[in-house]
Parts: sequence; C-alpha cells; structure tokens
Amino acid sequence: MADIDNKDQAELDPADMEDVEEVEEEETGEDVNSKARQLTVQMMQNPQILAALQERLDGLVGSPSGYMESLPKIVKRRVNALKNLQVKCAHIEAKFYEEVHELERKYAALYQPLFDKRSDIVKAAYEPTDEECEWKADEEEELTEEMKEKAKVEDEKKDEEKEDPKGIPEFWLTVFKNVDLLSDMLQEHDEPILKHLQDIKVKFSDAGQPMSFTLEFHFEPNDYFTNQVLTKTYKMRSEPDESDPFSFDGPEIMSCTGCQIDWVKGKNVTLKTIKKKQKHKGRGTVRTVTKTVPNDSFFNFFSPPEVPENGELDEDSEAVLAADFEIGHFIRERIVPRAVLYFTGEAIEDDDDDYDEEGEEADDEEGEEEADEENDPDYDPKDANPPAECKQQ
Amino acid sequence: MEGKKADVKGKSADIIMQFNRPEGVHHMESLLPKSVKRRVHALKRLQLQCANIEAKFYEEVHELERKYAALYQPLYDKRRDVVSGAVEPTDEECEWHSDREEEDLAEELKKKAAVEEKKEDSATTEDPKGIPDFWLTTLRSVDMLSDMVQEHDEPILKHLRDIKVKFSEPGQPMSFTLEFHFETNSYFTNAVLTKVYKMKSEPDEVDPFSFEGPEIIDCEGCQIDWHKGKDVTVKTIKKKQKHKGRGTVRTVTKQIPNDSFFNFFNPVKVSPEDPMDEDTELTLAADFEIGHFFRERIVPRAVLYFTGEALEDDDSFDEEELDEGEEEDNDEEGDEDEEEEYDPQA
Repeated sequence: MADIDNKDQAELDPADMEDVEEVEEEETGEDVNSKARQLTVQMMQNPQILAALQERLDGLVGSPSGYMESLPKIVKRRVNALKNLQVKCAHIEAKFYEEVHELERKYAALYQPLFDKRSDIVKAAYEPTDEECEWKADEEEELTEEMKEKAKVEDEKKDEEKEDPKGIPEFWLTVFKNVDLLSDMLQEHDEPILKHLQDIKVKFSDAGQPMSFTLEFHFEPNDYFTNQVLTKTYKMRSEPDESDPFSFDGPEIMSCTGCQIDWVKGKNVTLKTIKKKQKHKGRGTVRTVTKTVPNDSFFNFFSPPEVPENGELDEDSEAVLAADFEIGHFIRERIVPRAVLYFTGEAIEDDDDDYDEEGEEADDEEGEEEADEENDPDYDPKDANPPAECKQQ
Repeated sequence: MEGKKADVKGKSADIIMQFNRPEGVHHMESLLPKSVKRRVHALKRLQLQCANIEAKFYEEVHELERKYAALYQPLYDKRRDVVSGAVEPTDEECEWHSDREEEDLAEELKKKAAVEEKKEDSATTEDPKGIPDFWLTTLRSVDMLSDMVQEHDEPILKHLRDIKVKFSEPGQPMSFTLEFHFETNSYFTNAVLTKVYKMKSEPDEVDPFSFEGPEIIDCEGCQIDWHKGKDVTVKTIKKKQKHKGRGTVRTVTKQIPNDSFFNFFNPVKVSPEDPMDEDTELTLAADFEIGHFFRERIVPRAVLYFTGEALEDDDSFDEEELDEGEEEDNDEEGDEDEEEEYDPQA
C-alpha cells in the first residue's frame, strides 16, 4: 500500500476521503500559543480574576501611561517635533472647516427655494399641482381592501362634514411632537401657540464673521405675542484652543442667545402666578400673597442661561445649555432639512434603525438614551428591554 | 464648558453601510385627509430634490478634502522623515510645553528618568534612529486595531514606515485608498500594500431618504508577494485521519487561514447577486469601520495615538453622525461588548 502519510490534502483521492474519520488535529509551529490562549480565555471567565483585573485597570485610568516617559530622550524629542507638526495640522483643519461652512452657506441658498415651496404648501399659500403630488405609496402603506374602503368612506365623510383643511395643519407642531428631543420641551400650554408656527429657517453667518448660525421661527399673527419671528443664535468656536489644540474636532457650539418675546398681556406661558398663604408668626394672621414664578415652556428656549464673564456656570445651567446646544444642532441638521420625514415619522424610524437593539448588527449598546446604562458597569446588553411585541398588557 | 460639535465632520466623512434596514410602519400618512396627504406627497417630492442637491454637496466636500489632503501632505511627509530618522528636527521644532500640572507631576519622574538615562546612555552604544516602531505602537494603542495585530505580525509591522490616504479624482466614482508603505523586509517584496474603499455618494433610488452622505459600500485589497515560508496569513496543520474501513491512520498536512493583520488586504468580496450571510455582513461592516478610522483619525493624528492622548478624545469620535437619538458613543461601550459573557453578579 502506498504511503499516504503526510500527503497534502489536495492530493488525496476523494473516494478515500469518504471513509475517513478525523481522529486528531495537531498543529505545527506557531500554535504553541494556542494553549496559552486557551488558558487566558478560561481565566478571563473567572469572575474573581476579572474583578481583580478591573480594579487594577480602574486604578490606572487617568494616570500617565508611562510609555512616553520611558522613551529615550532623543526619541521623545522627535515625538515633540511630531506634536508641533500636529498643531500645524490642527490649524489647517480649522481652515478646512471654514471652507466647509462656506460650502454649507452656498448650498443653503440652493435648498432655500425648496424650503420656501415647502413653507408655501404648509401654510396654504400654494396648492401643488397633481404632478407635484405624485408619489408612489410605500409598501408599508398597503392597506387591505377592506381598510381601503373604510378609509375612503371616512375621507368622504370628513370632506362633507368640515371644510377642506388648508395647507398642512399643525405641520410643525406635529414635527415637534414626533421627536422626543423636542417633545420633551413641549408643554400643553405651548401647543395652541405652536399651531401658529409656519416655518423654521436656518441662516448662516457670512464669510469673515465669527462662525454662527441662527434659527428663525416664523409665526403667523396670533393672540400670544406680537413678534413675527423668534430667533435663536448659536455661536461656534472654529479654531483650535491654544491651550488644548488637540481637542479640536471641528466647529463646536460655544454659546447661544435668544430673543425677547413681546407677549400679549396675560399670555406669557413662561411665567405662572402662584398664590401662597403666609402666616404671620407674631400675629397669627394669614394672608395670601401672589407671586410670579418661571413656568416650564418651550418658549424658554428663547431665554437660555447666559454664560458669565469668567465662563463658569453652575452644574444645572451647564446641563441645560448642553441640552440646548444639542437641540439647536438637531434642528439645524435634521429638522429643517428633512421636516416632512419627521412629520410622517419616517425619519424617526431611520434614526431608530441605527440604534436597533434587536438588530443583527450586534451593536446593542448604541443609542441607549438612558444614560444610566452607559455608566452602569453591571449593565448587561442581554438584559436590555425585550422587543416591544413581547410587552404584555 | 462642553460645546456641541457641529455635524460638519459628519457631512464630510463617509459612514458605514447599513445593511437590512428593517421596514417601519408609517401610520401617520394613511390617517390624513386626502387633500392634506396630497400636499404631504408634494413635500416628499421636494425632499427628494433636496436629497439630490445634498449628493452634490457631498461631492464638493470630497473635493475640498482632496484639496486639503494636498495641504496636509507636506506635514505628513515631514512626519515620515522624522519617524524614519531621515531628518533630524531642530531644537526649535522640538520645543513642547506640556501642561503645568503635568510638568509638576513629571518633574520627579524626569529627575528619576534623567538618572536612569545617564546610566542607559553610557551602557548602550546604540542611538535609536527616528522613532522606532512608531506605526506599530500607534496600531497597538487602539483597541479596534490592536485586535487585528497578532504576535507574528509584529516583526513585520516594525517595517511599516508610513500610512497614506489618497482620494479619488473628480469625475471618478468616489473612493479613498489607504497605502501602507513598508521598508525593505524579509517577509514580502511589495513596497506598498493598498486597500481601496469604494463609496456610494448618491441617494438610493429605492430608499432616497436614507441618504446621509457618502457611505462605504465595498473594498478591495491587494496581493501580497510573500517570501517563501513567510506568509503569516496561512498556517500549516497536520491532521491525523483514520480510515473507517481499513483502520489505518494517516497524517495529512493542510494549509488553513491564519489570523493576521495582513488579512486586512484580502477582504471578503461583496457580490451584488448573493445576499450576504450575517457573519460576512458583520465582518465587512467591521472592516469598513476600520478603513474609515484609518482615514479619519489614525493618519491625520498618528502621534496622538502613539502617545495615547487621542484615546480619551476618541469618545467624541463617534459623535459624527449627530442625529436624533444622537449619543452614538460607541467607544465607551466597547468594554461592555467584550464583557458580554461575564456577569459581575455571578
């Protein structure tokens, strides 16, 4: 019988292979490490070892790694030269972002006619033609025949019962209500006012000016305030910070200013009047005192906390401002450019898709808006909320 | 105080391809009165026009990036020369003032190090040239990349002397190429290993509203001309096989794939016809993320990864796509991912 030891797999007769049972696999050369690796894996599954490791690691956080210090002086010197080059890169990057900002300004002008048309349709200043309204229904929208019939009947009833609604009623209010970040700001008493919101525009700072953008909220005449436009301006830092040039990662919102709202008397929803009963300590008499105190309202958006000269704010105001910046950014980047998709809800699913917990894309951790989970070392992604369908009554 | 980053980088950067967008339900529209629904459709058509304009915007951003790549290049070339030791920077070029606090802390360490150095200097005759193992160290300092580097890759990666990013020309389909430049070595003959990432920079016809800027959709590696016996991407194993009928045992040698950083140059091919299985999808998605990371962070800021400074900053890296559910802080959760099997409560 021919010696078939050490034959290359490819050379073997397939017929031979069928009768063959693999007994043992022996690895050559490099995989001396595999045993070590196996051991490591076992160790890493031991909770006590892991806990000890974690403790040691925690102790290291924030402390210099020591790597730089361990380098020979002449090498460290060259690393510093690289750092100086890096600072130069950061300054070039700042110019890059300025040019991107100019590009955004240029394109804002190209989008504007489309946004103006949107505004005209929403507020019923313009009725689009049939051709302009042609849209293939999404598959998801396919209703059963029955439902279609039902919807048709209801449509006809609606058409008879009331006036044909003009434009797209409550367009922007609906957008706000559909988006968590914004609906969190909305109070009940804000809604009747926001029904009058006709358009939100973004304006960019001009070339040569410090970089900023302004959100303009255009309102139709209403009973609440006399302003036609409420504005919020966000100022950005678009250059590396001298004391920390490497933290520069593009323009950042640094501060914002609102505007004064000229409220009609008694209509200011950002204030509320409360009555307090006070008892005179000496006399024992009770009196009622009325006070005006701040009230939660979307319209506080136009009076953000001011950053004092020394640039320091209390923790609460810092949090409020951080949230405010996020909202300003979001309105600029997502809401204004894509309003209709938030109106219908499509864009919200898109945003969710990226953060789909049950999705096969394994990134369970993404987009958990409850900050606690991020900071909770015990958080186990497998314990995340079960898919909605599983929720029982 | 924390400022908020504008989404500019998000606009200029490509993002990872999203596979299998689950279909959602749009209840809203079907409940609207007919006349209003009609107008909403008009808005959607306008939105489509916006998406097409947006595509042009991203093309112009890409051109801007190409223009700036040329402005950064002299600085990167200098970096390469300092790293290799081809150029010795002047004292002035090496002046660096660290933070006050750091200085105080480091004072003691410095004194200690100075004493040790004196010992070292007299002990060794070797004067390290340039910055030894610069790129290897940089790769190893980043989790996502160090996971790719096996022990057997390290001696090879010591020969890596530069990584460059090249952008596609105007008129060409949008893409970028990573070039890994190696000094002459005993492992392979190539001077440069390349990885090309192809992007889709237009709204998808079927789903135009998912368009968020250029996305990596495909990539291509290159052939590595390994010297005989040096190919670390394969390993030889011996298998003992027992013939069921005859009972005889034979030893068969096989070559199977071996984990290696250099598999990066041999990615899975995307075929538009065959749908991908989940594993392949994930592997590709990870690859795209890595390509993107090289382009956006590693090449532009290598020294900061070398020293470790950039690693704290990287928490903000993933805030590019600043959308609604915004906080895409992937890096922070990196650890949680690894600990999936481990229950601290056990």
